[in-house]
Amino acid sequence: MTTTSNTNDESLRQEVKAWLAENWTQDISKELLNEQIYWEVSAARKNWLKKVVEARWAVPSWPEEWHGRAIANEQASIIEREFAKVRAPGAGQDRNNLWANTLLAQGQQGLKEKLIGPLLRSEVNMCLLYSEPGAGSDLAGIRTRADKQGDHYLVNGQKVWTSGAATAEYGMLVARTNWDVPKHQGISFFFCPMKQSGIEVRPLKQITNESHFNEVFITDATVPAENILGAPGMGWQVLNMALAYERSSMGEGARGPRSGVKQTNKEEPLINLAREASRLDEPHLRQQIAQAIAYKKLNALNTARAKADLSQGTSSSIMSLGKLAMSRILHEEGRLRTEILGAESLLEGADHPRAEDANFLSLNAYFTSIGGGTDQVQRNIIGERVLGLPKEPEVDKTIAFRDVRTS
Amino acid sequence: MNTLSSEERNALKDSVSKLMSDASTEAEVRRVMETAQGFDSDLWRALSEMGVIGLITDEKFGGSGVGPMELEAVMEETGAALLCSPLLASGVIAAELLQALGDETLNADLMPRVATGETIASAVITGDKGCWTESGVDISATAFEGGWQLEGRGNYVLHAQNADVLIVIANTESGLAAYTVDPSDDAVQIEALPTLDRTLRIASVRFSGAGAKQINATRPVWEAVSQALNLALVALAGEQAGGAKKVLDFTVEYAKTRIQFGRQIGSFQAIKHMAADLLVETESAISAARHAASSLADPSSHTHEAISLAAFACADAFVRTAADGVQMHGGIAFTWEHPAHLYLKRARANAQLFGSSDFHRENYLKALGG
Ligand SMILES: Cc1cc2nc3c(=O)[nH]c(=O)nc-3n(C[C@H](O)[C@H](O)[C@H](O)COP(=O)(O)OP(=O)(O)OC[C@H]3O[C@@H](n4cnc5c(N)ncnc54)[C@H](O)[C@@H]3O)c2cc1C
Repeated sequence: MTTTSNTNDESLRQEVKAWLAENWTQDISKELLNEQIYWEVSAARKNWLKKVVEARWAVPSWPEEWHGRAIANEQASIIEREFAKVRAPGAGQDRNNLWANTLLAQGQQGLKEKLIGPLLRSEVNMCLLYSEPGAGSDLAGIRTRADKQGDHYLVNGQKVWTSGAATAEYGMLVARTNWDVPKHQGISFFFCPMKQSGIEVRPLKQITNESHFNEVFITDATVPAENILGAPGMGWQVLNMALAYERSSMGEGARGPRSGVKQTNKEEPLINLAREASRLDEPHLRQQIAQAIAYKKLNALNTARAKADLSQGTSSSIMSLGKLAMSRILHEEGRLRTEILGAESLLEGADHPRAEDANFLSLNAYFTSIGGGTDQVQRNIIGERVLGLPKEPEVDKTIAFRDVRTS
Repeated sequence: MNTLSSEERNALKDSVSKLMSDASTEAEVRRVMETAQGFDSDLWRALSEMGVIGLITDEKFGGSGVGPMELEAVMEETGAALLCSPLLASGVIAAELLQALGDETLNADLMPRVATGETIASAVITGDKGCWTESGVDISATAFEGGWQLEGRGNYVLHAQNADVLIVIANTESGLAAYTVDPSDDAVQIEALPTLDRTLRIASVRFSGAGAKQINATRPVWEAVSQALNLALVALAGEQAGGAKKVLDFTVEYAKTRIQFGRQIGSFQAIKHMAADLLVETESAISAARHAASSLADPSSHTHEAISLAAFACADAFVRTAADGVQMHGGIAFTWEHPAHLYLKRARANAQLFGSSDFHRENYLKALGG
């Protein structure tokens, strides 16, 4: 590292700090940090993001043309760290904004101009139109079709488990554009407008008693040809890039408790819960609590190391581990909260927030262990792509998709 | 106690199984679990006619007078079908507690009605701590105008909201005592509690000077409570083993039919190995539950050891099978429409009803001399 870059780093750090000191005021931070919003973005939050984007803190490693500063990843992470210190949202989107990153890398100029800004400011709601009843783990087995007709594509088929489809303005859609080639080669990737008559969204009730995911029935929906990302038939490559962004963000965090009751001190939640339940002195619980917190800490350390690797320009295999690690963390935390509460965990509802949280976390842990690719599939990916172990033979990899066997 | 031959026991198990497949279908369970009462009166009557409610009640009080092995066998079937009913609350715990307390006059009057299911009895034992030792009792009784008055709160009481009579364990100046209380007394406040497992009905019961009749116990009261809890744990173990087996069955079936990557998902070793592990869990649970039942039926055996073992082995097996079952299904099992979550929630509830697995593991070690 040279002295110049050190000076540059330091002045950048001071610049962010000063900006945050001026803009991340008590009022704003209080409002945003107390929000319990997961599926909708509040006006206050949009306002804040707008400021962050204008000040070019959101995607500093991106080109200036796209709200960036064209600086190295290493420097961009300085900005992210300063934001993290004061818990201000909006930075680091060049790493973790799935939608904007995919669009920037693969989209056409017109679509980028239209949507990159709004995506960074969370002004458009998005969803992922990937999974189908017959194609979950085997995403390349999708049967939704997109047929080119002049300046647009006509789309027909059915998607399922689509989180957030009811409020989305666009869905990142994978559809088959060629049926005569093997399954990975005939897929294309689109930004599909959701608010049109050809798209019907039916909510599905989840085991958590919420309805955030949906079935999406697509009948003669139209997608402008310029909304394709990557070349026709190259959708699998675009998809893999998007999936990597999704999985890495799932490895860094997940939705917390939903009771809305805030812990007042900064203690580790499991320690706090055991203390409240007067069980913090039980040796077998202490051991398990230590282990559960350690899983979290170790994953955070892995992620930090992966980020450092990334900013030095090498891609990191550690990144692939985060989602699997997070799945274990969440299931374990749910289990342990249940164990600490004992009989109280039988209960649910607003009058029993501790039980509500333990149960919700236990159930919602499947969001991470199934959603975005199951733990089993994630292990296959780590084994094959990271460790270089031989691939399982795939019976349908080389035959034309028309001839593939289904459920 | 009459112990049935294994053919007779199997015949009983089969007829319960038949009743469950007719009247405790998934659709019925879903309907009934959303009702306030939480059980279906017609099915309750059918269980009565089959002798299931009075299964362990002595013949002299109108029951079938059979033992833990028959009860366990029946519970495997009701557990597999997620039966919603006060069977465990009234037909098992309350009935066995009454029998164990041994007040012949009371029993001659009350037990025949409990055995037919016409009267639902519910036992109030633990308080807010939800702990199943003597120290968990949080109600006190004081003598008042020739009778007794109760103060305090019982919690996690099975089907208290449906009870016609409460059997209450309370502290007195001279140790634990047992009482009957009329739940419609103004000084008794029963609050139905919202539960994650909607097939369950529990309530908290507050006594504010409620009038109570003392039960003339013929032995130390906690001894009688322990006897009732032992039988309840055997019944629950059977329910858990049956539930686990059912989840494994439908999960394996799905793994044979669901195709991804051009193959049945059961052909992937990740799925195959999970299924094999769950079979070990499930079969162990069945063995543990049946072993606990037979040792409770045989006074010369190591009853405490067997019951504690079954209590945690079956609880853990059911939770794990139901939890892994969801994972093995993928997204479909994250939906309310799919039955997997009903079993997962039942499993999680069962694992806490009469003490956690930790509590039972501790008791197991103690029974082994450790
Ligand atoms: C809460 C939630 C939210 C979701 N949100 C979205 C969304 O917004 N958009 C979207 O498109 N999808 C979404 N999904 C779908 C999710 O991506 C799929 O559920 C997931 O990829 C698994 O697919 P499947 O459900 O079809 O299960 P299947 O693929 O049928 O898998 C069934 C079982 O087989 C196993 N299996 C399959 N293939 C293999 C293999 N090769 N090796 C070993 N084991 C294997 C799986 O691990 C699983 O245990 C969501 C799912 C959940 C649970």
